[in-house]
Amino acid sequence: MKLHELTALEITQKIKARQVSAEEVLDAHLRRIEAVDGLPGRLDGDSSAEPSKVHAFITLTAERARAQARAVDEKLAAGQDLGPLAGVPVTVKDIFCVEDTPSTAASKILANFNAPYTATAVERMEAAGAVILGKVNLDEFTYGSSNESSAFQPAPRNPWDTSRVPGGSSGGSAASVAAYEAPLSLGTDTAGSIRQPAAFCGVVGMKPTYGRVSRYGLIAFGSSLDCPGPLSRTVADSALMLQTIAGADPRDATAVTVPVPDYVAELEKGVRGLKIGLSPEYFQITYLDAVTGKLETQPVPDVMKNAVLDAAQRLAAMGAEIVENVPMPHTRYGIPAYFVISRVEAASNLHRFDGVKYGYRAQAGITDLRSMYRRTRAEAFGPQPKLRILMGMYVSAAQYSEQYYNRALRVRSLLRRDFDEAFAKVDLLLTPTTPTSAFPIGGLYGDSVLMQYADQLTVPGNHAGVPGISIPAGLDADGLPIGIQFLGPDFSEDIILRASRAYEVATESESWRQAKPALAE
Amino acid sequence: MDYEVVIGLETHIQLNTQTKIFCACKADSWNDAPNTNICPVCTGMPGVLPVLNRTVVEKGVLLAVAMNADTPPVSYFDRKNYFYPDLPKGFQISQFDCSLAKGGWLDLPMPATDKDPAYVRRVRIHKLHIEEDAGKTKNESVGGYSRRLIDFNRCGVPLVEMVTEPDLRSADEAAQYLTRLRQLLRWIGVSEADMEKAHLRCDANVSIRPVGADYLNTKTEIKNVNSIEAVRAAITKEVERQKAEYAAGRKIESWTLEWDEDSQSLKKMRSKETEADYRYFREPDLLPVYLSDAWKAEILAGFPELPLARRARFISAYGLPEYDADILTGERSLSDYFEQAIAAYGGDPKRASNWLLNDVMRLLNESGLTAGELKLTPAYLAKIIKLVDDGIINTNTGKSLLEKVNRSGQSPDEIVETEGLAKVSDDSALRAVAESIVAENPKEVESYKSGKVGLMGWFVGQLMRQMGGKADAPKARAIFEELLQ
Ligand SMILES: [Zn+2]
Repeated sequence: MKLHELTALEITQKIKARQVSAEEVLDAHLRRIEAVDGLPGRLDGDSSAEPSKVHAFITLTAERARAQARAVDEKLAAGQDLGPLAGVPVTVKDIFCVEDTPSTAASKILANFNAPYTATAVERMEAAGAVILGKVNLDEFTYGSSNESSAFQPAPRNPWDTSRVPGGSSGGSAASVAAYEAPLSLGTDTAGSIRQPAAFCGVVGMKPTYGRVSRYGLIAFGSSLDCPGPLSRTVADSALMLQTIAGADPRDATAVTVPVPDYVAELEKGVRGLKIGLSPEYFQITYLDAVTGKLETQPVPDVMKNAVLDAAQRLAAMGAEIVENVPMPHTRYGIPAYFVISRVEAASNLHRFDGVKYGYRAQAGITDLRSMYRRTRAEAFGPQPKLRILMGMYVSAAQYSEQYYNRALRVRSLLRRDFDEAFAKVDLLLTPTTPTSAFPIGGLYGDSVLMQYADQLTVPGNHAGVPGISIPAGLDADGLPIGIQFLGPDFSEDIILRASRAYEVATESESWRQAKPALAE
Repeated sequence: MDYEVVIGLETHIQLNTQTKIFCACKADSWNDAPNTNICPVCTGMPGVLPVLNRTVVEKGVLLAVAMNADTPPVSYFDRKNYFYPDLPKGFQISQFDCSLAKGGWLDLPMPATDKDPAYVRRVRIHKLHIEEDAGKTKNESVGGYSRRLIDFNRCGVPLVEMVTEPDLRSADEAAQYLTRLRQLLRWIGVSEADMEKAHLRCDANVSIRPVGADYLNTKTEIKNVNSIEAVRAAITKEVERQKAEYAAGRKIESWTLEWDEDSQSLKKMRSKETEADYRYFREPDLLPVYLSDAWKAEILAGFPELPLARRARFISAYGLPEYDADILTGERSLSDYFEQAIAAYGGDPKRASNWLLNDVMRLLNESGLTAGELKLTPAYLAKIIKLVDDGIINTNTGKSLLEKVNRSGQSPDEIVETEGLAKVSDDSALRAVAESIVAENPKEVESYKSGKVGLMGWFVGQLMRQMGGKADAPKARAIFEELLQ
C-alpha cells in the first residue's frame, strides 16, 4: 500500500510502531500533491489552466509541515508520548486563521493577510501531532456550493471528473481528501458546505452540533450557522479528528461545555436497536422556477432515493428499526429562511473588511474616507460577497426586518421543532445528501439562487443546529459519487458515526468501494 | 413669553473593570501609549469572537439597582452596524431592545436658592444598557495632507449607556444630576467617574417650550462637554440662544452642537439628517445573559445604603444640618468613617461632625487619602474627642493629637501618656506653681491688688509657660484669684 493512501488511523499506528516516520509520510503526500494538484489558486489566475489537475491548494506550507513532522519523529525518538494525530497530514480550508500563514478566505480583500493567531480547531490538531500541509481553496468567504467563486484560480476540480465541480464551499477540502493529497481536512458547514462537497467527491464529511467545535479563528459567514468539521475518506478518521477538535473553548462563548465522548471507541457498536427514520420531505426538492417565480416540487433522482433505501435495508438487516414517513413539514422553507438569516449575518460580518486595518486597500481615486471604503470594497469583494451584502443590508433595514429577518427567525424555530418532534420518535434520520451529483463546471455558476438549492437537504440541520454527516454511498451512471446523510439530535455525533460505520461495514465488499478517482500523475 | 427648559442627558459611563468587556486586555489605558492594550479580539481581526466579562454584567446590575431600575432575568447583546475607522469590526456590540435594565429613576435634592425653596426633582431613566467602547481617532495634517491616527486601546472598554427622560428643567438640575450620578458611581464602586478622563461622558438634549405646554419642541444635542461646569455653561448658553431664536420668530433646527471649552461657546457640528439605520440584530457570537436570582443575590450581597438615603438619615437620625449631611455623604468612605466614629464616640453627632468637617477633612485634603485609609481610625478620633470632652486634654492639644496619631498610627492614649500631654488639673500641683509665681513677683502682685485686674491673664500665662501648656486654665485662674485676694 502506498503511504499516501493510508488512513489517518493507519498512519498514526504505523508511526507509533516505528514502521514509518512522520517525515516519510509527509514526503509521500507532498509527492502526491506535486503529481496531481497542479497550480495552486492565485489572484487573477487562469480558471481553465491545467484542466485535468485538482487545484485544491491556495497555500502549500511544506516547510512548516516538515518542521511539524520532524518534531513528531524527534518526540518518538525521545520516547515521548505522541498525540492522537501524530504525523497525520491535514489540509485546512483557507477560512481558518493560522499564525504567520496567508489566511485569504479565497478573497482578494484578504489576499495579503497573514493571520497573527491560530484558530482553535487547528491549534488542537497541531497539539495532537497533526502535520498541517497548507490552506485549501473554497468559495470566496465560503459563499457558494461549487468553489467557482474563489478569487484564487484555478479553482478546485472534482477528482472523479475534473470537468466537474468538487462542490462547496469546502471544495478544496473534499478534493484534497478524495485525491489522496491528505487523509483529513478541516472544513466548515454553514448550509451544507462540508456535506455537499463530501458527497460530490465521495468522501465522509461531518457537520457537528452547533457549538461542538469552537469557531474561534474561523472567518465568519453566518455566525449562528457556521460549524467547523472533519472531512476524511473513512468514518473512523472523521471520528478521530472530531475527537481532537471538539470541546469547550474559553475563546468561544458559543462552544458548549458538554463532555466529548470517545467517538472512536463507540464506532463498532453497530445499529442494533436504533430507530432510523425516513422522511418524505427529504425525497423531494422544492425550488424557485426562474420563469414563473413559483415554488415547484420534484422528486430527487431515483439513484439518490435508491441509495437511501438500500442503506435503510442494510441497516435494518443489522438490527436497526426503520421508521417511514417521519414528517418534516417545514423542510421546504429552509432555503428561503437561510437566504435571509445568513445574509444579514454575512453583511455584518463583512463590515470589518474596510481597508483600514489589514487586507486590501484601494490606492487610486481616494478623495476621502468614504471613497476609500467604497473603492476598497468595490475592487476587492467578488460578486458573491457583494450579493450577500446587498441582500443582507436590505432585509435587515429597520423597515424590512420584521417582514424578512424576524420572519425568517420564526421559520427557523419551526424547522427546529420539526427535528425535536422527529427525534422524539427516532434516533436518526437517513436522507440523501444532495439532490444531484457533481455538476459540470460552469453549469450553475451565475445563478446563485439555483446554486443555493443544492443545499436544500443539508441546510435544515444548520438552522436547527443538529449534527449531520454525509458518507459515500456508491456511484451514479456517470461514475460520480453520491452521498447519503444521517441527521441526529444535538450531541449525537457518536450515534451518527456508529451508524455510518455500520453502513461502511455493510458495503465493504461492494465494487464501488474499491473505485478511486483516476487522476493522471 | 415665559419658557420652560426641557433637558435629557445621555451619559456613557466607563466601568472600572480590570479587563475589557470581550477580551483579556487591560481596560484602563490612561497612562499607556496608543495601541499597547490590544489583541486580535478588540482590534476586530478576521475570525475572532467576543467572550463576555462577567464583572461587566455585575457592575451594570449594581448600577441598575442603584438607579431603581428592574433587571429582567434575560437580556441580549445586539450588533449596532456602522462604518468608522475606530470601530474595527464595523459594528458595535451593544444592547438594543432587551437590555440589562428597564426603567429606573433618581431623585435629585435641589437646594434652596434666593428665589426658590428646596425641592426634589425625579429624573426617570429611559434606557440603561452595557456596550463596548470604540477607539479614538485623531486627525492631523502632515505636509498638506490630512490623516487619521487611530488608537485601539479604548476598543472594548466596558461602558454603560444611560439615557434620562426629558425630565430636567434647568442647567442647575442637569449639573445636579451629573454630580449625584458621579457620587453614586463612586459610592457603589462601578466607575471612577472622572469626567476629565472621559470615564463619565455626557451629551445633553436641550429644548424649550412655553410654560404649561405639554408638547416637546425640536431639540438640539450638545456633545463634547467634559466637566459638570461645562454642562451647566453649555446648556445655559443654548437655552439663551433658543429663546432668542423664538423671540426673533425663527425655528429651532435639530442641530448637533459641540461645546468649545476655550471660547466657552457652542459650535454647530452638523444638521441631523434622518436617523441612521444601525440594522440592529442579535449578536450571534454571544449567549443571552441569564441573570439568575442566585447570581443577582450574590452581586447585591453587601449592597450599600445609597448616598441620598444616607444623607436623609443623617439629617433625621443625627439631627445634622443639610450642609453637614451633604458633605459627610459626599463620598462613601467618609460617611462610613463618620458613622463608625459616632458609634465609638456616643456623644453629640454634631460635635463629631464638626471635628470631621474641620480637622479630618483637612488631613484628607492634605494627604489625598480616603477616610478609610487614614491611620487616624474612627475609634481614635472618637477617643480624642472624648479626651477633650472629659477635660483630660484641651482643644488645641486635641487637634495636634489628631496629626500625631495620624502620622504614627499610635493610639491617642499612648501618645498622651508618653508625651505627658494630659492637662494638669491637680489642685496641689497647680497651687504649688501658683504660690511660687506669687512669691517671686511682688511687683505684679502689688499692681493687681491695687486694681490692675487685667494682670490675671499674665499670671495664668506664667503658669502655663512653666507647665508646658498642660494646665487647666480655668482652675489656675481660680487659684490665682484666691491667692491674690
Ligand atoms: Zn483585546
